[in-house]
Amino acid sequence: MRLRLKGGRVLDPANGENGVATGTRRDIEILDGRIVAPTGLPASAEYDLGGDVVMAGGIDLHSHIAGGKMNLARLLMQEDRAAYPEMPGDFCGCGGGRAVPTAHATGCRYAQLGYTTVFEPAMLGANARGAHLEMADIPNLDTGAYLVLGNDDYFLRLLAAGAGQEQINAYVGWMIEATQAFAIKIVNPGGINAFKFNARKMDLDEANPHYGSTPRDVLTTLIRAVTELGLPHPIHLHGCNLGVPGNDETTLATIRAAEGRRLHLTHLQFHSYGTEGDRRFSSSAARIAELVNANPNISVDVGQVMFGQTVTASADYMSQYRNRGIATPKKSIGMDIELDAACGVVPFEYRDKSFVNALQWAIGLELFLLVEDPWRIFLTTDHPNGGPFTTYPHLIRLLMDRDFRNAQLATLHKAAQKHTLIGEITREYSLEEIAILTRAAPARILGLKDKGHLGPGAVADIAVHREDSDREAMFSTSRFVFKNGRLIVRDGEVVELAQGTTHVARPEFDRSIETDIGRWFDEAVGLKAKHFRIADGELRAGAGPTILKCEGVAP
Amino acid sequence: MAEASLRTIDDVVCGFCGLGCDDLTVEVEGREVRAAGAVCPEAARLLRRMDVPDRGPSIAGAPVSLDEATQAARRLLGEARAPVFAGLGVDMAGAGALADLAVRFGGVLDHYASDGLFANYAAAQRTGWLSTTLAEVRNRCDLLLVLGEDPSATWGRLFERLYPEAPLFAGAPRRVVFLGGAPGEKARRQLAGAEVSHLSADDVVAALEALGVFAAGGQPPGTSFGGVPAQDISALAEALRGAHYAVVTWNAGGLAQGDLVAEFATKLVDSINLVTRAGVFPLGGRDNIIGVNQLLLWRLGYPLRTAVRGQASAHDGALYATGQALADADLLVWTSAFRPEPPPAFSGKVIALAHPDTQFDKEPDVLIPVGTPGVDHAGTVFRMDSIVSMPLGALRVATLPSVAEAARGLAEG
Repeated sequence: MRLRLKGGRVLDPANGENGVATGTRRDIEILDGRIVAPTGLPASAEYDLGGDVVMAGGIDLHSHIAGGKMNLARLLMQEDRAAYPEMPGDFCGCGGGRAVPTAHATGCRYAQLGYTTVFEPAMLGANARGAHLEMADIPNLDTGAYLVLGNDDYFLRLLAAGAGQEQINAYVGWMIEATQAFAIKIVNPGGINAFKFNARKMDLDEANPHYGSTPRDVLTTLIRAVTELGLPHPIHLHGCNLGVPGNDETTLATIRAAEGRRLHLTHLQFHSYGTEGDRRFSSSAARIAELVNANPNISVDVGQVMFGQTVTASADYMSQYRNRGIATPKKSIGMDIELDAACGVVPFEYRDKSFVNALQWAIGLELFLLVEDPWRIFLTTDHPNGGPFTTYPHLIRLLMDRDFRNAQLATLHKAAQKHTLIGEITREYSLEEIAILTRAAPARILGLKDKGHLGPGAVADIAVHREDSDREAMFSTSRFVFKNGRLIVRDGEVVELAQGTTHVARPEFDRSIETDIGRWFDEAVGLKAKHFRIADGELRAGAGPTILKCEGVAP
Repeated sequence: MAEASLRTIDDVVCGFCGLGCDDLTVEVEGREVRAAGAVCPEAARLLRRMDVPDRGPSIAGAPVSLDEATQAARRLLGEARAPVFAGLGVDMAGAGALADLAVRFGGVLDHYASDGLFANYAAAQRTGWLSTTLAEVRNRCDLLLVLGEDPSATWGRLFERLYPEAPLFAGAPRRVVFLGGAPGEKARRQLAGAEVSHLSADDVVAALEALGVFAAGGQPPGTSFGGVPAQDISALAEALRGAHYAVVTWNAGGLAQGDLVAEFATKLVDSINLVTRAGVFPLGGRDNIIGVNQLLLWRLGYPLRTAVRGQASAHDGALYATGQALADADLLVWTSAFRPEPPPAFSGKVIALAHPDTQFDKEPDVLIPVGTPGVDHAGTVFRMDSIVSMPLGALRVATLPSVAEAARGLAEG
């Protein structure tokens, strides 16, 4: 089927096109779900865009949308669920919620914001089958998941035994394939494991009480593994000491530990805290941004804090256990999981009159504004940990509108205002930069060549927004959203539910590791490796995954 | 008809009790199925199939075609004012299809074994808890506290699975303390390598509450608690604080005051975690109740005992429990694919998507016999810990529809 989107201003940074700046209007043509070069052929449907802004569908590379911890969060957040009922429309009564929306609401609300691809950044191997079932129930989005490694006893045992990199690579490759994952995430490298041995904190060069290896060992070994396996996305790292004042030094040391190899630091805001001032809590965003700027191998996403009630859900049980005293409301769940990892779920309300929360907000914005290269920084709230993804339009306005930003700043905790540079920063993001942060750059760092742009051959995931000087209003609603060339949102309303796909990566690896892995599962885990492994047909109700073959990149 | 050859299938996954054993050996001969080798009595009983024709669909006991039964059931659904979808002993695909039906026709969703789950939720939802999973218990736990009666009767291989011969980390001796009922012969045999002790309690809640106070460093007034001498409880508290990794387990569904046991166990584990590591390991998980609950949480945002009406859902752990919900219902849609669990007595109309061996007190208005996940067709079920889910395989060619197929049939048209 051929569709034509007529007379839009095309904003496609991946292909160097900026119709917003030039005022040029042109047509976009879709044939059977892909973008094609414009033709004069008759189309089944035409949509008159009247100069509206056309971008590729948004790609969120870090948003917790599926997996056991989200259901634990839902269990704790029943009041939030009741307060945010089902969306209007008769697609189905499939739930609501704001902090932890249901699968259905997740897919619909993302679609309304113009997003069409979202990656779950913390899938546990032990929980992978359930996470994939849940992702299959999210409409309108393509998904994928990063597998949490680095705290699992199999890996730490290999590391402690001095196993060769080849063997580590084989294990990582097997795990990616078995769990249908797209990339490797490390959460508090070795720290979650150390907590199981009753260690309560873990610095970059601190030895695991049982294995003796350090977070640095874990990190550098797994960086090498994903590089040599040719995974497109670098190690996606949730570093040590999340949320701890003084973790700035750890973060700087972690960037240096990468020694020039590719590394993605996620929710960097939570890792950019100094200890200056009377309250021993300060912003180190400027120092960290400076080092990020100087290291082109580093990419980051922010994990911006947005005020209001949310729930934090993380594999970092060590950190979440430390934070459970400040839970609002006062309840939390923690769980050690399967010699694999763990999880901690802590409801939290970020308050603008709190010194710490206000400064967290400012630190996030400082990072956005001080990291110079928009291709290496991504727009995230670490949904729902810093705030729900539905706050993205507000965040975009904070980035694009200095007066608005400063007006918000003026309402915050007074002392916090004095501890941030925000008021002095003049930078305002352009629309093109927003398109890079939310489309072109995530596609590039994920290795998704047919996404995040509007050139011929691209998947026809397209968002159309009417330009509005109030950027929050502009991005809160979409005029049209197309998923694989199907219209799913019109004038802000979801008009159809599309079934997405799940992206997985398939590296080559030495399969002789399977004997040892099989023995490990039999003896230690108490589950057969073949039952741990997820078949292609288990994904997306039998449709299977979209496979990205890994061809390797230069180490 | 040709002689059916005997096939032996290894590493069969069992989806019945929630423990998630996946090393069963099963012999299949034509349509006949039987467990071979080491297997618990429940799995042996529920896997057993004879080479006999399955009961077919019926309307008020009279045999009809599947189409006729499906149409009659669809009509009942369309006419119903307040359906209750109960039983819910189904695999994940079945649960999804039944949730679709509930969304389309409205109705309450509850599982027949949800009393234990909600007793635990009384604690988990109010304060949260610190828990653990099977592989962690297997390898780390050096002191396991079992509350209430010996759970081996329900989970036949529980202690074999929890305490394997060669754990990775737990040092010797690995201890198990039964607080409440005495361990039976089976438990003692499976725990032969561990140091097992028994504190007989006539009131587990009272003993557990005192244990929590001792473990938090307090001194509850009294010389015995729930029938257990204070010094024994105090010593147990010391042992828990001195363990490397303590685990507290109970079956809320089998306890009169399961909610209080869950609450005090949660508090106990909280205070132990201040000094060492510990977790709760609540037992449950029969007939994929955990998986169905997981699915409803991500689909509707609420656990079991949720009502869907007019495109919106609401949860109430008391009002939407099967028994209570049936008081206001005019249609019961009963589903039990894993075992021949009969529906509760109900005066309104009944549609049963049921195991073919189900014995009904009164023939349902519409009966559609369904195949069993893990016997007749493949499927997915969750283990009791809510984290791990397992792929069930088909052992023989299905002659009955799966719940998902039957339920989708009801939704069509």
